[in-house]
Amino acid sequence: MTEISVMALILILCITTLGVLDQYSVQMGFYSPLFSGTLTGLVLGDIQTGLVVGATLQLMSLGIAHYGGATIPDYFSASIMGTAYAIISGNGAEYGIGLAIPIALLLTQLDILARMSHSICKHYMDRYIETLDYRKFTIAHVIGGGTWILSRVFPVFIGLVFGEAVVSAINAVIPDWIMSGLQAAGKILPAMGIAILLKYLPFKKYLAYFLLGFVMLAYGDSIFTILAVAIIGTALALIHYQSITSVKAAPAAVSGDDEEVEIDE
Amino acid sequence: MSRQLSKKTLQKVCWRNMFPFQWSWNYETMQGSGYGWVVWPAMKELYGDDPEKMKEMLRAESGYFNTTPAMSHLIVGADLALQEELGTESKDMVMAMKSGLMGPFAGVGDTIFLAIYRAVFFSIASYFALDGVPFGLLIPIITGLFIIFTRYKFTFLGYSQGKKLASEFADRIAPITECASILGLTVVGGLVASVVTYSLDLEFVVGEATLSVQSYLDTMMPKLIPLVIVLFSYWLLGKKKMNSTKLIFVLLALGMVLGNLSRIFGV
Repeated sequence: MTEISVMALILILCITTLGVLDQYSVQMGFYSPLFSGTLTGLVLGDIQTGLVVGATLQLMSLGIAHYGGATIPDYFSASIMGTAYAIISGNGAEYGIGLAIPIALLLTQLDILARMSHSICKHYMDRYIETLDYRKFTIAHVIGGGTWILSRVFPVFIGLVFGEAVVSAINAVIPDWIMSGLQAAGKILPAMGIAILLKYLPFKKYLAYFLLGFVMLAYGDSIFTILAVAIIGTALALIHYQSITSVKAAPAAVSGDDEEVEIDE
Repeated sequence: MSRQLSKKTLQKVCWRNMFPFQWSWNYETMQGSGYGWVVWPAMKELYGDDPEKMKEMLRAESGYFNTTPAMSHLIVGADLALQEELGTESKDMVMAMKSGLMGPFAGVGDTIFLAIYRAVFFSIASYFALDGVPFGLLIPIITGLFIIFTRYKFTFLGYSQGKKLASEFADRIAPITECASILGLTVVGGLVASVVTYSLDLEFVVGEATLSVQSYLDTMMPKLIPLVIVLFSYWLLGKKKMNSTKLIFVLLALGMVLGNLSRIFGV
């Protein structure tokens, strides 16, 4: 087993910080398990493992987002730790993924704590409005960002500094059948993300498109890739767009202008 | 007596709306406290010489607010346009607009910017990654830059629309959301078949033949199990007492069973 160097630890904590800042602002990618896993793998010298752990966790959590401020399992930090553990222990990506799931669930509470701590920030901000003290007002707001960063940096730090101990304890304590169970769970958990996505989309209304996408990759996975499905989906969306916008134009043309004849399907 | 907001101030507000906006997100006012911080430069420019007015508007602007961050730019822009035109007289109108729009904007925004956007671009990047290609990660970065650009435009679009934002928005966005949903659903359908990777590793030895349960199922319909699990999860989520955390545990339990089928059946 290899240990993590201080330099690597610092870099990983930077990745964590960048991820949190990205998560609650523009979400360019650094907040995602895919990025955090890959970057951690890069730092630890095994980008391939990072790619696999990150991508798997990413696909697992696709439908899961902070809808309306909801709190979700922390796949981001779990991806970092899972990748690190997979590399340190030498047990490979599947092992890291299996560990990442319970870690993601455990860390959920820290996000809630951070948000609750922001109530204190809010109260100070209200106070500083009354005195128009811009400097303190801003500091209170920024501290909120600070606690949020800590809510991820802290567990990642603990998880990595005591990494070896954690990994050996886990190996000793968790029986094989739980690991197989976790691995199988890892394979079916994406269903949850997808189910959540379906709730946000007009599933029943546009069931047809869902079925098309499914058939393409269930039967045709030697021909199609997800990118192909996306392109076809875009094409179908554009066709639909043209048909609804021409329907809108038609009544106007009929009632407005007698000389033009609008032909639409 | 209303001042004009300078482009520079609007840009400052836009930057704040983009990056540190949610840093003080709390369970009481949610994005409200951040909203006040975001518009402070504009409040200063409009009411700087009248501290009481500035305080009054800042208090109003810091009230409860929550919507998809990308969409909030539209509201902030419109908000400032109203205040620029009517000063503190606009207070009730601004508060009504914010309360009225945050819900619908969140509905559309979460669907497009969270659900669909993620499902499409991050899954493509992930599949590249699973094939060992790190350059797929550039995809979300590039589209992310595009989103930043869009949000910047949203601030100024909201500002130029002002009062008209609510009605214009409803007309224009509905077809776009519909079509984005079609793209989203097609991709999600594909994801069911590709992301839920469980297959039964159950084999029965009957006489001299080894029967694999999974290949039997595959002749009926490939990816039948993933489809069933997804529809089951979807159905469960519709039940009253169910939420996503509980669903995780249900699926974990299911995983425990499915992962140990050979042990359970003693084969």
